[in-house]
Amino acid sequence: MRAEQVMFWAAVVFYGVSTAAYIFGVMSRSEKLVGVGLVTAIIGFVPHVASIGFRWVWQGVNPFITIAESLTLGVGVSVLLFLLVQLATEKVRLLGTLVLPVSFVLLGWAGTLRTAAASAELVPALQSGWLWVHIVGASIGFSAVFIAAGLGLLFLLKERKEGGVYERLPDPKTLDELSYRFVVGGFTLYGIMIVSGAFWADQVKGTFWNWDPVEVWSLVSWLTYGIYLHLRVTMGWRGQRLAVYSLVALVAMIVSYWGIPFSVETFHSGFRIEH
Amino acid sequence: VRRLGSLLVSPKLALVVLVTVLICAVVGVTVVRGARAGELIFGTLWFNALLVLLAISSGAAFFSRIWRRKLTLVSAGMILFHLSFAAMLGGIVYNQLFFFRGVLRLTEGETLPNRDPASYDYVERGRLFDFERLKGTTTLVAMHANYKVGASNKRAAYELEVGEGASPVRKVIYVTEYLDFDGVRFFCLKEGYSVLLVLSEKDGREVFGAHVPLQSYRQEGGAFRYASGTASEEVAFAFPPPPNEPRADVHLAFRPSTVKEREGEVSLRLSLPGPHGGPPVERNGQVVVGAPFDAGDFALTPREIRYWVGIDVKYDPGLNIVLASLCFGLSGMVLTFAGRIRQGTARKRRPEESRPAASRAPGIERESA
Repeated sequence: MRAEQVMFWAAVVFYGVSTAAYIFGVMSRSEKLVGVGLVTAIIGFVPHVASIGFRWVWQGVNPFITIAESLTLGVGVSVLLFLLVQLATEKVRLLGTLVLPVSFVLLGWAGTLRTAAASAELVPALQSGWLWVHIVGASIGFSAVFIAAGLGLLFLLKERKEGGVYERLPDPKTLDELSYRFVVGGFTLYGIMIVSGAFWADQVKGTFWNWDPVEVWSLVSWLTYGIYLHLRVTMGWRGQRLAVYSLVALVAMIVSYWGIPFSVETFHSGFRIEH
Repeated sequence: VRRLGSLLVSPKLALVVLVTVLICAVVGVTVVRGARAGELIFGTLWFNALLVLLAISSGAAFFSRIWRRKLTLVSAGMILFHLSFAAMLGGIVYNQLFFFRGVLRLTEGETLPNRDPASYDYVERGRLFDFERLKGTTTLVAMHANYKVGASNKRAAYELEVGEGASPVRKVIYVTEYLDFDGVRFFCLKEGYSVLLVLSEKDGREVFGAHVPLQSYRQEGGAFRYASGTASEEVAFAFPPPPNEPRADVHLAFRPSTVKEREGEVSLRLSLPGPHGGPPVERNGQVVVGAPFDAGDFALTPREIRYWVGIDVKYDPGLNIVLASLCFGLSGMVLTFAGRIRQGTARKRRPEESRPAASRAPGIERESA
């Protein structure tokens, strides 16, 4: 537990340093500071993954049952996707301007909710293959729309600022197109999460939909991205308006993913299922 | 009619209805919650009508635009996705008309007829559902506590026998495993203790016996107390129950043994009629399972402990349509996603073929649907 805690808080500290580097890098248009942000994000990612792995592999506990575990995993997958995007292209270095501050805040919040690992065995209702599909869909889906929002922010920055770190950014059209693709991917994966949740609920409760607060909020955030796609494809929205929309939609996503299970009694709150 | 038609195919109407549905859904899980939300929003005719309007409007808006377009991977995915929405709605409506949901409460060894409405503690059904659809009987053979499947502890598992005639279906069900008999599904719901209470005269003659199902009451600290009563409070009951002549009002509580299954101590609190019509006389005590409790003129023996279980019985003829639609919808999304990736790759390879600009934001091209 102690080693896991040390690794977890080390990740939070490095993400904090990375956040500061990105923010000051953007403000001062300094490529060096942005580079420091990326390096500290990579350094922080190592203990972050180690803390998840410690709980999962060594303690044998599935690391997505409590809200703190779910936050830690969701942020971990998001930072991983962010790093993969960085690996794929150097042009979107500034992507961390949104990803790292939000990751830092979410992981810090997870730190305040952390408890010792619960029993290694899943409660009977969760002993289902659908759970894994559900978790994978939710984690990667969230990460994809998170990156899309980050690209939306870059679009807005590119439009308003010039020189320094902004010169390297791709043209607005490319940013807009890239953001759209991440939304399509996130929308699909979030759909997989909802559908697998429906199949799991049918297996356990004999009903695919229960109007549970988390179910409803998940549907709301999924349809929020459905509206995004229709605004783009059907209504022809592009650029600034969609960039702002993707940032607002991310807030809805975070609220539905973690805010609702935290604040409302629901069977998703640490999967407290009465059986 | 033409104006109505053009209104129906307008994507703006679909978006307005969608946003309205979203607002209602958010209100239903924030301002009003739980059963009240079902009564005021999710279960109402107007909300379901709104869902129908959403499906019709979005379907009309989509298909009026996709009509006569070239069939590509993206458009095929979109067609599949939007068609699945319509099919899902059809499945939901069909299910609403014919569905059945009931809760059977059975004590170990008890059998109840499935088609008799009196067998159920709770019944909910579609307008066109016929009880004749529920065939045969259901027997609770046993309730297995700490039931193991491989290395996994499923905690509570019910061994059921359902069917009619010579070959009933027998199966152990637990939280992730249900029994299917002729399209009717049986799910684990809840379980509790049941005390076989036997009344004997002074001379040892047994005159009455009945199973008393106990409720579980959560205590501070998370422990449970098992006692007679309703779901919300502990109450005494007349024993023997009417139409027999009651000899006492009995309140009963059971403390299970931590060592042996189905053993433990039973606390009894009796309220006996006073002599010559006087005020009732209280008699309290505690006995182990199997031992008699002296009530004065008679004795009460908690003879044995069994389990009672609540079984969720469900018949959803539209469910497979809904679940298949979900899969088709998902396939549509994946196809569209793959198509978009392919489009992007092709555009990168042939930049000179990119479409003419009709931007709404600086430097952004407008893409056709």
